Amino acid sequence: MYTKEIEIVNATGLHARPASQFVAKAGSFRSRIQIRRVGDEKWYNAKAIVMLMTLGLAQGERAEISAQGEDEQEAVEALAALVADLKE
Amino acid sequence: MVLKGKAVSRGVALGPVLRYAPFQPVLTKELLPAGGAEAALAAYRAARAAAQKELDGLERRLASADPEQAKIMAAHRDILLDPAMDEEITDLVNYDGVSPDAAADQVFRTYAGILRGSDNPLMRERAADLLDVLNRLLRCWAGAPERDLSRLDRPVIVVADDLYPSDTAAIDRKNVLGIITQTGGSTSHTAIIARGYGIPAILGVPNAMEALEDGQKVVLDGETGEIIADPSEAEEAAYRRKSERVAAALRDLDAFLDAEPVTRDGVRVQVRLNVAAAGERELSSAEHVDGCGLFRTEFLYLNREQLPGEEEQYLAYRKVLERFGDKPVILRTMDIGGDKQFPGSEELREDNPFLGLRGLRLSLERPELFRVQARAILRASVHGNMKVMMPMVGSLEEYRQAKAVFAGEMDALDREGIPWDRDLRLGIMIEVPSIALIADLAAQEVDFASVGTNDLTQYLCAADRVSPSVRAYYKEYHPAVFRTLAYLARAFRDAGRELSICGELGGDPLAIPALVGLGIRQLSMGAASVPAAKRVIRSLDLPAAERLAEEVLHQKTQEDVRACLERFASGLAGQEKEA
Repeated sequence: MYTKEIEIVNATGLHARPASQFVAKAGSFRSRIQIRRVGDEKWYNAKAIVMLMTLGLAQGERAEISAQGEDEQEAVEALAALVADLKE
Repeated sequence: MVLKGKAVSRGVALGPVLRYAPFQPVLTKELLPAGGAEAALAAYRAARAAAQKELDGLERRLASADPEQAKIMAAHRDILLDPAMDEEITDLVNYDGVSPDAAADQVFRTYAGILRGSDNPLMRERAADLLDVLNRLLRCWAGAPERDLSRLDRPVIVVADDLYPSDTAAIDRKNVLGIITQTGGSTSHTAIIARGYGIPAILGVPNAMEALEDGQKVVLDGETGEIIADPSEAEEAAYRRKSERVAAALRDLDAFLDAEPVTRDGVRVQVRLNVAAAGERELSSAEHVDGCGLFRTEFLYLNREQLPGEEEQYLAYRKVLERFGDKPVILRTMDIGGDKQFPGSEELREDNPFLGLRGLRLSLERPELFRVQARAILRASVHGNMKVMMPMVGSLEEYRQAKAVFAGEMDALDREGIPWDRDLRLGIMIEVPSIALIADLAAQEVDFASVGTNDLTQYLCAADRVSPSVRAYYKEYHPAVFRTLAYLARAFRDAGRELSICGELGGDPLAIPALVGLGIRQLSMGAASVPAAKRVIRSLDLPAAERLAEEVLHQKTQEDVRACLERFASGLAGQEKEA
């Protein structure tokens, strides 16, 4: 298991197109990947667009990404980089 | 067989029928038989694959023509293939024996409900995307073909119960030869779109969907309101000739497009354009008119993946302003509600939407949306000659609240050092009788007003303008409409403020002489009405028009008013012939 904390920096937050990009990236890894808002109990499936939409992470919020599996570290680092790089 | 309805857009069309009905899913209520889960899931996977194939195809086809729509299709595919929802659907089938269609319906609606409950307006709008994908999935499950007016493979005459803005927004103008609907009248959304696109249309044909079959050849006569199914060879030939005649007459009218709208005795009437989609074709008329009397901003909100941000709105407004140069552009803040819904607004479904939360009422209810629009408007205001008006105002309190929202955004822009037009005028639409009846007081407070005659008529007559059952009660020539206009014109003239007309009446060649006679000097209309309006204005003498107006105000019924207007019009036509 590999976990990392991130901050949402882009204006629209982690939904709409940014969420699509996130889900597409998450789906390219074999590990089980989950995401949750820092301070919340509930983890969400990070490969599921509807879960991300439901989670509704907005600009300035912090979240944890966690993965478990053969490519766990690579997956979490790639997703964290993607989030840090979001523009819209 | 001959059917009859209300001709709302001129021209004659001949072609095969395409009946257009949105898909209505019927869910399987029964549980699966024991051991039936595996076969049911296989059928579900096949339906999902078919839906995915449609979305792939749409994304490819739209990629170059409309990248924004293509991205929406891609987002829909992500939703369709969502592994978490898929797992829940599969569990319901495997462990509870629910049929996959009912299971998908349950799961999609659960998440749509969660999104709709979100604090974030952007998230709430996403609920509509989920329901759109669900509808596609259930349609594929039922094996029903996709019906979409934006991508037709051959020319057709579209027959429908009614068309919604989402149906007409991307209508395939090359292949839609004509439109027939069961509901709607001359001021419905479909009528306005049809005229704007120059597509002949007949609305309010009660049994059209039952009486006509797919592929059946019909003639649509947009002059008389007649629809002839299976025309004989002779009839067909006659209508082809008529079609050419009508097209030629419309071309003759085009000669007036560039003429100056001035009466024979030198009274200049402003002829302005109603802008609905701000597309190239619409804006190309800008050079022929005296400005834009109604810039509808709803197109930014309808048929969208998400609500428009400030920047997108700013650019859209700026584009229109720059196109009109020094000429005035009256921008109307969002007029959503009534017959125009936007994604995610299902939660607002009301029994009487025209009497509900629409126009400025909705803007004041959702200040987070209104403030963004106000800010975009203010930023754009420095790029031309802009005025702003609010729709559906019933009292001065509402106008003051709206003004306060604008004042707040003006202060915010000042703090940030962003410029806006210091001479910006704020006005109102007059549609609601309660504001019309205090026009003398309103005229002292608002900077200007424009009369939306379609809604004014609907509210004066208490007749839903899109309901075919009360079509006869919606009387566009009701004497009360002209008396109200007379009162408004006097009140605004006395206060020295501008009053214009931007409803259908403003572009109606039959009504224009009486409107000019009432003292109205600003008319705004769709591009298709401009040549005929200019021709009428150029044939008028003010004293005669004033006598006509006076006569109209003393008629007792709509038919009396119509007879008056028609008599006057045939007098003008006789005059033109002599000249």
